[in-house]
Amino acid sequence: MNVLEVENINKSFGQFKAVQDVSFSIQEGVIFGLLGPNGAGKTTTIRMIMNIIIQDSGRIAILGNSDVKHSTRFIGYLPEERGMYRKMKVDKLLYFQAKLKSMAKEDAGKAIDLWLDRVGLSDWKKKKIEELSKGMQQKIQFISTVLHQPKLLILDEPFGGLDPINQNLIKEILLDLKARGTTIIFSTHVMESAEKLCEEIFLINQGQKVLYGRLHDIKQGLGKHNIYIEYDGDDAFLKSDQIQKYDNYGNAVEIQLKADGNAQKILKDAMQAATIRKFEIKEPSLNEIFIESVQAADTGGSPS
Amino acid sequence: MSKQILAIINREYATRAKTKGFIIGTILFPLILVLIFSGIFISGKFFQPSTRTYYIIDQSDLIYDEFVKFQSGTLDTGEPKYNFIRKHVTASDLDSTLESFQIRVRNKEINGYLFIPEDVVESKEVKYSARNVSDFEEQESFSRTLSWIVTNTKLEAKGYSSSDIRDVMNQGRVSLVSHQITDKGEIQKSGVSSYILTYILTYVMFLMTMIYGQITMRSVIEEKSQRITEGIVSSVKPMELMFGKILGVCGLGLTQLVIFGGFMLAAVTFAEPLFKSFGVTAPDFLNIIRQVHFTAPVFVFMIIYFILGFIFYASLYAALGAMVNSEDEGQQFQTPMIMLLVFAYFIMFTVARNPETTRALWASLIPPFTPLVMFARVSVSDPSLPSGAIISIFTMLGSTALVIWLVAKIYRVGILMYGKKPSLKEALKWIRYK
Repeated sequence: MNVLEVENINKSFGQFKAVQDVSFSIQEGVIFGLLGPNGAGKTTTIRMIMNIIIQDSGRIAILGNSDVKHSTRFIGYLPEERGMYRKMKVDKLLYFQAKLKSMAKEDAGKAIDLWLDRVGLSDWKKKKIEELSKGMQQKIQFISTVLHQPKLLILDEPFGGLDPINQNLIKEILLDLKARGTTIIFSTHVMESAEKLCEEIFLINQGQKVLYGRLHDIKQGLGKHNIYIEYDGDDAFLKSDQIQKYDNYGNAVEIQLKADGNAQKILKDAMQAATIRKFEIKEPSLNEIFIESVQAADTGGSPS
Repeated sequence: MSKQILAIINREYATRAKTKGFIIGTILFPLILVLIFSGIFISGKFFQPSTRTYYIIDQSDLIYDEFVKFQSGTLDTGEPKYNFIRKHVTASDLDSTLESFQIRVRNKEINGYLFIPEDVVESKEVKYSARNVSDFEEQESFSRTLSWIVTNTKLEAKGYSSSDIRDVMNQGRVSLVSHQITDKGEIQKSGVSSYILTYILTYVMFLMTMIYGQITMRSVIEEKSQRITEGIVSSVKPMELMFGKILGVCGLGLTQLVIFGGFMLAAVTFAEPLFKSFGVTAPDFLNIIRQVHFTAPVFVFMIIYFILGFIFYASLYAALGAMVNSEDEGQQFQTPMIMLLVFAYFIMFTVARNPETTRALWASLIPPFTPLVMFARVSVSDPSLPSGAIISIFTMLGSTALVIWLVAKIYRVGILMYGKKPSLKEALKWIRYK
């Protein structure tokens, strides 16, 4: 079953079309990247999913239920614009958040202790938020979105303002949650982190879809089909019918595959005749795809 | 009501009720009240007045006997209030005698002396010398008695008999006793104190509505400026957040109102009997309290109108909070609300004096004015209910619901708008957003 289905949603603010005809669906346990430059419509899309604003048209269904009002408690949402009541104590704040998600007090207490321990903030339980460092506050905020064991977790720029160590901690927690079946929507304009985590992406620009699909497929579809091999021995594998052309340096070769060329086949051939020291499929990085697609979309063309 | 709203109400209430400022502010008033009354109690218990001794030189020979007769009252202890001792002096001894009196006053052997000159009937002047001349109640009383005796003397000189004079003077004294005609019959009630009480109570309502309205606004601004709102409205609807917030702050105001009012009610009801049971003379000051008709029904109506008025104004304050980005901006643009409240307070002044005119009725039924104006009418009319009092509760409920409905639409959009403050026109456009 799809955890989330978004069908042809539109949203305008006055004359400004914030989101146009956006559709996607996400299956259970997938990390889904909602990517795009600033102001592309990511947050508006998320707000519609969260029922904070209502779409002008189109349908959104969470866990198969399109009455979104009642499904928000299955969702954990970490907005990009996030802050906390500075005068509240950590545990009081987390209890409050848990109550908003209809959690029983006892369950909430257990979950709070567990999570504080996990992020190493157990000793700060009785401290006021304003006494915490910025990184600590970010972690408390993260906890408040996962306390109630959401089926769908929506994170808008979760790594913003986190140091590398805490980024790593959150990343590990996310992978752990994924392994336990949590579906994660990861919205960002920082492609490096998205590239490592996301299996599927939806690239949005100026409110419209630019790219949508499995990250791997997209890379393949957009890639120049280049392979780089360092080898010792026979170069007979270069005669393969998978190859469009190649540039041989003697013990290293750059190969451009045919459009339907299979890199694995070439590797198999090469290994039979030569010793392979290095084999690299040169896929375009998500960052390159992002920049190229957005630029192409902005100038009215299609991504090459 | 959903659990989420309860959580919001609870958070708004608990985080504020537990601050030092609120606790001090709330117990300060009762504490002052208790201090004042225990001060009166202690001073009444330990500083009972004792018999005062005055020397009297009556050179006219007309005054002394009558004067002593008139000032023959006793203290609560049963002892006479005054001990007057007549001193006779010759003209040549006068200066030295007065000097010796002064020494006695200074040595606290006597409280003072009265020097009545021979021509007192013509000069109409008596010298009152005492160590302490600040007890004007006593001076008033002396002066009244002396005037009476001099008037008598003059009338006698014109041929009226002294018994006639006494009869006529006593019969001629008129006192004005104010009675209020109510549905339950007539009751004796001081006109002035009932207005003063009404002014004070409405002023308390005015202040509390404004202060707690501003607290509501600041609460909205805090969530907005600290970027807390979006996380919350992903769990509850903006309308629920707004309503929970208003109710939470309302509870805070109610706590304070109930504590203040409860103490006042207790003071009015129990202070005097309590003092009496301990044998303490109730000072005249307590006469004022005795005349304060702060009754339980008035208190109940005060609570009802505070809740209604607060929710009405707090919704407006919440919308303002959602439209602005900082507390400074909020302070700046709250003028319309304050104007409405001040206007209501001015109307209240006139209406409290003429509570049953048609205009008073209409003014008290206009929703923004109802909480202050209708309450003032209730307070001055107590124990009967002014016309339209019950209707006003319903008109207030209806208009508050309408205001909340409109304001919630502005609130919903405003809380997620950062940046420039919208114009009123833009904000009104938000009402039409889906």
